[in-house]
Amino acid sequence: MKNRIKELRARENLTQFDLAKLVDVRRETIVFLEKGKYNPSLKLAYDISQVFKSRIEEVFIFESN
Amino acid sequence: MKMKKNRIALLIASIILMVVIWGYISFENRIQSFNGLQFLIIILIVVFGIIAIIRELKKYQEKKNGLVSEDELSTKMKYKAGYKAYMTSMYMWLFIFLLKDKFPDTESMLGGGILLSALIFFITKVVVKRDLYEK
Repeated sequence: MKNRIKELRARENLTQFDLAKLVDVRRETIVFLEKGKYNPSLKLAYDISQVFKSRIEEVFIFESN
Repeated sequence: MKMKKNRIALLIASIILMVVIWGYISFENRIQSFNGLQFLIIILIVVFGIIAIIRELKKYQEKKNGLVSEDELSTKMKYKAGYKAYMTSMYMWLFIFLLKDKFPDTESMLGGGILLSALIFFITKVVVKRDLYEK
C-alpha cells in the first residue's frame, strides 16, 4: 500500500512531529508510514485522512496485486 | 543536551552502585571475590536498571512534548518481540537444564535464567525494530 502522507504533510506545512501529535502516535510511526514500511490500522488511516481533510483512498493508495 | 547529561549522570550513578554492591558482597563474604556467574548476574541487573531508567526518562520527555509514549506500532512490535523472545527462551531453558550440573547452585541457575530471558527479550526487541527499518 502506498500513501501520500509526505506530500500532503508538506502541503499543509506540518512536521512529522505535528502530525504525530495530531493523530496520537509516536513520530517514529509517521516515519515508518511515510517510508511505506508500515500499514496503519483503519482507525489511524482515518485519523490521518481527517487531518488532511481528505478521504482515506485519497491518502492511502491500495494496489490490487 | 539535557538528555545526554542525564544519561551520563545515570551511567556514573550505576557504576558507583555496582562498585558499592560488589564491595558489600565482598565484605560480607570476608573479602572473598565472588565467582564469574554472580558477577555477570549483578552486571545484568545494573544494565537492565539503567535501560529501564533511560526508557522512563524518554517516555517522560515525550509526554512533556505532547506525544504519546506507546502507539499501535510500538505495541505490535512489543507483541512480536515477546513471541520471539518466548520461543527463544524455551530453548535457552532447555539448554540450562541440560547444563544444570555446571551451575554452583539452583538459585544462580534460576536467577541467571530469568535474567537471560530478559536479555533475550531486549535483544529480540532490537532485532524486530531493525527488521522493520530494513523492510
